[in-house]
Amino acid sequence: MHHAYIDKFAYQDSAIHRLDSRVKFLVVLVFTAVVISLPRSSLSILACYAIGPFAVLVWAGIPLKFVFKQILLVSPFVIVLALSCPLYDRTPVAVSFGPFSWQSSLGWLRCFVILGKFIVTMLALIGLVSTTRFSDLLAGLQRLGLPRLLIIQLGFLYRYIFVLIDRAHHILRARAGRKLRNLGFKTELRTAASMLGSLFIRSIDTAEHISIAMQARGFDGSWRTLSKLKVRRCDLFFVLTAAVFMSGLYFFIKPILQ
Amino acid sequence: MHMANELLSIPVATGTLAIAAGSLGFICRKVRQVIAAEKLALMGILGAFVFAAQMVNFQLPAMPGTSGHMVGAVLLAIILGPHLAAIVISSVVIVQCLIFQDGGLLALGCNIINISLVPSYIGYFLYRTITNGRFSSLKVYIGAMLASVIAMEAGAILVAIQAAMSGVLAVPLSTFLITMIGVHFLVGFVEGLVTVTVLAYLQQLRPDIVADSLPGTVRLSKNAVLATLGILAVLTGAGLSLLASDLPDGLEWSYAERPDQPGFETVVSNRDSRITAVDDFQSKYSLMPDYSARASKLGDVPDRQADLGAGWTSFAGITGSAVTMAVIWLTAWMLRRKQAS
Repeated sequence: MHHAYIDKFAYQDSAIHRLDSRVKFLVVLVFTAVVISLPRSSLSILACYAIGPFAVLVWAGIPLKFVFKQILLVSPFVIVLALSCPLYDRTPVAVSFGPFSWQSSLGWLRCFVILGKFIVTMLALIGLVSTTRFSDLLAGLQRLGLPRLLIIQLGFLYRYIFVLIDRAHHILRARAGRKLRNLGFKTELRTAASMLGSLFIRSIDTAEHISIAMQARGFDGSWRTLSKLKVRRCDLFFVLTAAVFMSGLYFFIKPILQ
Repeated sequence: MHMANELLSIPVATGTLAIAAGSLGFICRKVRQVIAAEKLALMGILGAFVFAAQMVNFQLPAMPGTSGHMVGAVLLAIILGPHLAAIVISSVVIVQCLIFQDGGLLALGCNIINISLVPSYIGYFLYRTITNGRFSSLKVYIGAMLASVIAMEAGAILVAIQAAMSGVLAVPLSTFLITMIGVHFLVGFVEGLVTVTVLAYLQQLRPDIVADSLPGTVRLSKNAVLATLGILAVLTGAGLSLLASDLPDGLEWSYAERPDQPGFETVVSNRDSRITAVDDFQSKYSLMPDYSARASKLGDVPDRQADLGAGWTSFAGITGSAVTMAVIWLTAWMLRRKQAS
């Protein structure tokens, strides 16, 4: 398999990786909410908020190149919407930054604030996902009250994504080997559809085999995990630091920067 | 059309999260009563199938260089029934958010509603109503096509409405709505074509799957769907009409002061000091401060001194943050080098 790279950093080890998954999840959720609720006119406070997830990522040893590549990969929709702001909102604004000051429009300001918020919240999300194994995250989410059926569904899904993507790659390579030119839309569509159809049938057959194997081993629909979740002292310390960081910036730095 | 955090306000995000969580919980409870343990593997693997299916791309006509791929919600809804499809696609959306970082954490509620819940129920309902009765390929064609296009459009319209309700858009709602509907009509059309051809292929190879006999599927009553659709339509209509009027609503007019009529007396006013204090506190520390650009709106007559001061504080904020991050990075780098040596 060539694509297990997406969450490979979750299997490293660091103080951040060892934190309880529930704690990390809730902190990231609150952090995202706080960042989203910041006023839409100030860029500099966003830069201050970026320090938090940045520190976590660096501490956990996640390469920054990977992080920014990942952000770039998911950004098209947001970039299009952000860039549409300057087209529609042309209220002139005098912007000053340090020794420089120039005329701009409110639209550009909004555009940069939207992009800034996107980057900061993405940093936090990547900080969560690339320091927490998915199975730990699921166990934590189950404790937080997600329905068990959904947890089992997510577990199965995660287990088989990469298997089926691999299978799709095989089919794609076979097509690439046989199809040397554009065949016209009708044939292209029919080929793609039979590829999808056979993938679908094979998935259903695989599911049947797996469920027979699991029933043979006594699976009755309940999910048992070995991981023990426990909130330790370092988890509390993390929560405290995060709370001080977020509320400090919110109540003391934000009024100054506005 | 994954919604991002930045396009939502906190009330819309929490509201949609609550709706999505509530309905998912309800569906899970309902399905749990019916489904056998061996179907759990099937659902999980069909979720993974959605990811794999999105890798199978094909060239689109008239637009060289572009390629389309399948989304799969309607196909799953047709084959699994709406409840199971809703759970499967929701889990796909959650994994897209948590592993591929597509769509934000706060926007998860919106994404589950727009991409999973609404399309699977609408798609299923349309397909089943049209293909009711004896199997005919024309009926399957029309049913799957309509189901794909309309399910896709419904999700796209919801995206526009949620963004507009959050007040983030600089683009006028109508422009945004028309763009979304146009783009998603094309996407839905291609999706419909693929769904139809896949269904035709499956009909040839495994007619048992298409003929709604895959064991463990859960069907739902027509009345329930009709009622839900009715409520949804009313809600959407109400939301749209609220948004369509740029004027503040009646209540706001009655207690706000009217700058255009100096003689206007405010109907509701409360001079109680405690209330003013609470108002002050709220406007100072509220999680949803009104968008204000007071300083910048006065751009034509800038107060030079105050303006320069603001420029320097923001300069300090940004450079300070950058320096802090650089220090953090350098420290980590040095620590790691020390460990390595």
